Amino acid sequence: MAIRNGASMAGYKHGDSFSTADYKHISKPGLSERVIREISAFKDEPEWMLQQRLKAYEIFKSKPMPKWGVDLSGIDFNKIRYYLKPTEDQFSSWQDVPPEVKETFDKLGILEAEQKVLAGVKTQLDSEVVYGSLKNAWSKYGVEFLSMDEGLKKHPELVKEYFNKIVPAADNKFAALNAAVWSGGSFVYVPPGVDVKLPLQAYFRINAQSSGQFERTMIIVDEGAKVHYIEGCTAPNFSANSLHSGVIEIFVKKGAQCQYTTVQNWYKNIYNLVTQRAYVEEAGKMVWTDFNMGSKATMKYPSVVLAGKGAKGEVLSMALAGADQHQDTGAKAIHLAPYTSSTIISKSISKGGGRSSYRGLVSIGPKAHHSKNTVVCDALLLDPESRSDTYPVDKVFNSQVEVQHEATVSKIGDDQLFYLMSRGISEEDARKMIVNGFIEDLVKKLPLEYAVEMNRLIDHEMEGSIG
Amino acid sequence: MRKIEINKSGRHLIELKNPGEEVEIVGVFEAKNKEKIDVEVIIHHQAPRTLANTTLKGVVRDQSQLKFKGLITIDPNCGQSSSFLTERILLLSDQAHAEAIPDLEILTDDVKCSHAASISNLDEEHLFYLMSRGLSKKQAEKLIVNGFLEAK
Repeated sequence: MAIRNGASMAGYKHGDSFSTADYKHISKPGLSERVIREISAFKDEPEWMLQQRLKAYEIFKSKPMPKWGVDLSGIDFNKIRYYLKPTEDQFSSWQDVPPEVKETFDKLGILEAEQKVLAGVKTQLDSEVVYGSLKNAWSKYGVEFLSMDEGLKKHPELVKEYFNKIVPAADNKFAALNAAVWSGGSFVYVPPGVDVKLPLQAYFRINAQSSGQFERTMIIVDEGAKVHYIEGCTAPNFSANSLHSGVIEIFVKKGAQCQYTTVQNWYKNIYNLVTQRAYVEEAGKMVWTDFNMGSKATMKYPSVVLAGKGAKGEVLSMALAGADQHQDTGAKAIHLAPYTSSTIISKSISKGGGRSSYRGLVSIGPKAHHSKNTVVCDALLLDPESRSDTYPVDKVFNSQVEVQHEATVSKIGDDQLFYLMSRGISEEDARKMIVNGFIEDLVKKLPLEYAVEMNRLIDHEMEGSIG
Repeated sequence: MRKIEINKSGRHLIELKNPGEEVEIVGVFEAKNKEKIDVEVIIHHQAPRTLANTTLKGVVRDQSQLKFKGLITIDPNCGQSSSFLTERILLLSDQAHAEAIPDLEILTDDVKCSHAASISNLDEEHLFYLMSRGLSKKQAEKLIVNGFLEAK
């Protein structure tokens, strides 16, 4: 998602798509060693990466489907197309981008946002990044904002060092799948001491039906540097299900800071199964802001591994589950070093029979003395058919710690509604105000333009919700 | 209000089947030496206007292990029900291990439901206050632990 002010917003309807007839390559449905070798050959990759992919494919085959969380029975790995290449190259000027591709991203407001409020942009359509830019102000300090494929070509030694390091292929079935067939995603490197003051934005879009998007993102924030990376996700309306399974690995060095924001508004036919994890060194800080509104089913638990003394982690997550949606989201905080602290705030809204679940893990290891953790989960149920679950686990292995967990489940209070309506506000507007107020703490963490857009999206989702 | 006391490891299922039923559940545990205590409490609301108040407290010493797993389930059509689950653990040794899992599964919107869990050591300030009044460290610790176990 990007900023969509007035006019530029007008042309886009949620669920639009264009024909895939001009795509440069579409792989046949199904997964085999041949498909993996084909992807690797297309990308002209070094041999070690192909070996990593094949090894991951073996792990993928050996792991059973997860039996917990959301219902994954609708995924048929044989019907998915694993690699779709929309254009020959990645472009650095919108003029070179094929018109129908450009039009799609223009309708979504990316072009306008790029000029005004972003330091750099990547847009990915199905399997490949089709457009990329980085403002000169940052590139001259040595900031790298590349597609993962470019990153592998330009910095093979960095990629080799960090690839699969914090999310190993054996972590879970979908991390293994990603490691086997990954394509696209971003590679970000921020040199020591550089503060990238404007956000970097990546935009992921699935355009083809029954396809899989497996982006791979690696962000390395060197000592004392600072960066905010935002990803937006949407997809068109098709009857067949598609799969989005990304892996994000972030390395926050000593004293560095990274914020990673996801605004996920997939169409309601996408399985969204993402593994994202950050490794934080001494006095570093990692913030995940995670907004999940779309998709059919989401399983996503942003994690912070606090490995250095005094490291901090924050996970702020919002989930909205409507009819036929299950948002199984949460967070993990693994404390390995002393004086580390983490905060997890989760707000979920269930409506129209939707189900939202918080699933979290807090683990404080034997060496993490004087560490603190706070978890707050609030859930709002908007009607009697909807469902909310909370599944937290707190594990503590030393005595000098403070761990707190709180959760509440409630509905919109009649007294709250009555108060607003007695001021002449309609019931629908009153409900919108209360829901926006419920998630305000999280929205405040976004840059202003995104916060405004987020409030609009919530309003849009709430439209006509009075039964 | 029905009162239920839990004092053993194992799985405890508490069902609220009659409309308007109210129950208070309390469990207090002290684990020491190499003890392993594993308590699972399931509070299952199956009727409207039911109320449950659950409090689990534990003190963990030496090389002992304590695990609290609580689950509140509220079925559909159980409007106007309330359920609260509190799990508090004092972890007094670095060799001990504490785990708190407070789960919620809520299938009705017209409910009040919350849970809270905490795992911590004695508050240094509390200790300091009592010791500044002339109590030895041991006495002060004993007072605080007793207070923790008795408090509602």
